[in-house]
Amino acid sequence: MTQFRFPASVSFAAPAWRWSGLAVFFVAAWFVLGALPAAAISVAVLALFYASAGSSFNLLYGSLGIFSLAQPVFVAVGGYASSFLYVRYGVSPWLGMLAAMACAAILAVPIGFIAMRRPGTVVTALVTLIVSEAATPILSAITPLGGSIGLYIPVKSGTNWGALQFATGLPFARLFLALNVLIIAGLMWFGRSRAGLWAAAIKDSPDAASASGVPVLRMRLSIFIASAVIAAVPGVLFAQYNLLVNADLFLGDAVLFQLLVVALVGGSARPWGALVGALVMTELSQYLSNVAGDRPGIGPLTFAAAFLVMALAMPRGIAGTWAAFVSARKARAGGGHDRSPAIPDARDHPDGNVVPLAGGPSRDAAETETPTG
Amino acid sequence: MLFEQLLIVGIITGSVYSLVGVGFTLVLGVGKVANFAHGSFVAVGLYLALFASETLGLNAYEAFVPAVIFFALVGVAVAELFEWRGRKVGEIGELLIGLALLLLVGGLLEVLFTDTPRTINGLVLGHVDIAGLIISGTEFVAVAFTLVTAVALYLFLRGSRWGRALRAVADNGEAAGLYGVRVPVARRAAVTISIVVAGAAGIVISPFTVLTPDVGSTYLISAFAVVIVGGIGNALGAVLAGIGIGIVTSLSSGYLASYWTSLAPLILILLVLLFRPGLSEAV
Repeated sequence: MTQFRFPASVSFAAPAWRWSGLAVFFVAAWFVLGALPAAAISVAVLALFYASAGSSFNLLYGSLGIFSLAQPVFVAVGGYASSFLYVRYGVSPWLGMLAAMACAAILAVPIGFIAMRRPGTVVTALVTLIVSEAATPILSAITPLGGSIGLYIPVKSGTNWGALQFATGLPFARLFLALNVLIIAGLMWFGRSRAGLWAAAIKDSPDAASASGVPVLRMRLSIFIASAVIAAVPGVLFAQYNLLVNADLFLGDAVLFQLLVVALVGGSARPWGALVGALVMTELSQYLSNVAGDRPGIGPLTFAAAFLVMALAMPRGIAGTWAAFVSARKARAGGGHDRSPAIPDARDHPDGNVVPLAGGPSRDAAETETPTG
Repeated sequence: MLFEQLLIVGIITGSVYSLVGVGFTLVLGVGKVANFAHGSFVAVGLYLALFASETLGLNAYEAFVPAVIFFALVGVAVAELFEWRGRKVGEIGELLIGLALLLLVGGLLEVLFTDTPRTINGLVLGHVDIAGLIISGTEFVAVAFTLVTAVALYLFLRGSRWGRALRAVADNGEAAGLYGVRVPVARRAAVTISIVVAGAAGIVISPFTVLTPDVGSTYLISAFAVVIVGGIGNALGAVLAGIGIGIVTSLSSGYLASYWTSLAPLILILLVLLFRPGLSEAV
């Protein structure tokens, strides 16, 4: 196993060009969205929705290596909470958004506790998938939430900011864009913060981190809750965009896999990961669908094919591959110190070697073909 | 009367869960890989049986041996894929491969067979009358196949040299490697065995199962459930857990409102998670 060398001098503040880059992207994308035709806008809304939900997964998996499949549940909780308040009591979705975040946080405590009490990526994945599957029957059992039909949000005419309803999809696309930019900024900040460094330490070696005084379980749980809170927001916006909430919209297997794919294709350890992944996957599967013609079921197939290609070509995701490329170039140029990624990730060693994920059961034996006895 | 009937239905569906879960738990224990595509191989088995009966005119049992050979080849290839990605990029590479295969198989089946639910007609093995419930011969065969496979796997893991090697790797891969077990080979074997068992399960249950392209994720979830209740890498636990979950599902569908059918086993799992000190990792 290669040893991780900590750079001699590290600046923990994100370089200014990263922040200005984000600002430039935001402004440019804002106007690009304005120029898109309506059909493209609906695709963009979907892509940005998955990007923001995927970011919440990335926060968990990228910083702590927690493979949570329960993110759609928190998205659904967000959508349901705000819609319920609006439909029942006429509470503005903007306030509902706060309530949604609170609900997601409250729900995240027991889920996170059960899922992460035992170590190991696999156990967490198992438990969170079960939670994710349980959500649909639970929701259909709750009559005030509309049972299996869900809730329909009463339509207001025209643009109504208070009720978060618009005549076209464009404002939604822009809201989702702003949300994504906000999440990316948050992730950039988090990666450099003390909590982010703690998270990186826990990911590398929970035992070592715990021995150096990092509160492991508390960190895991807090980040789990934070990711749930983040996931609730796109849920609110998406419910308003569709003017309905039901289990299918948020909790179908397709949603879960889309979210994962977007996050993983983009690169889980990077703030930009989910957004890049969402845009690339949307474009790629659209392109492949056009090439393949319009047969039933060709959409899922091309999506899967695009994912397989990406998974084989860039297993660390686009953003991860890009960062490795940049750092390799810098290392050749002789610099190589300003490469601490936004979410610290010890797996990206400057020489391009990849150290296997820490935290899971030891699989070092796999790295060398052991001889027969 | 109703109780006995529900119990029998539960055992039948539960034995299918067991069979799918056994392979999944083996891979988790030995390879430390959560193979997301595991359920998809059941789906492939089902559609292979459909293809055999509609195009080749073979019934499920006639297609069984060729199918097992097919799944062995697929299993070796997939195991190689996992091993290659695992060596190169670690755990995340394997998760990605599994996820990609799951989506790919679902998409492929939908394109080839459309997403209309299908059933396979033609194979009748008579029926048995137990407690006023008519059980078809094919269901009987499926249960028998599950039990035989589970017992065979158990004996293989307990008794044989190979089984010991697999258990050693599941227990502590590093130490097993130092004692001369070829760890990568053991992991490939586990993946291959699990895929063959999953595929064979698909073939065996095809005469009485409704086929849809996304049936793979249904079985993936049941496999997850079986592993949580039965313990990671625990073959015997998986069989018991599968049958237990099947019975709970069946009883709840008989006595409670419809949404309980899917909810009851999940509650069972959450209870297990809450009250069990730790997931056992014994094989």
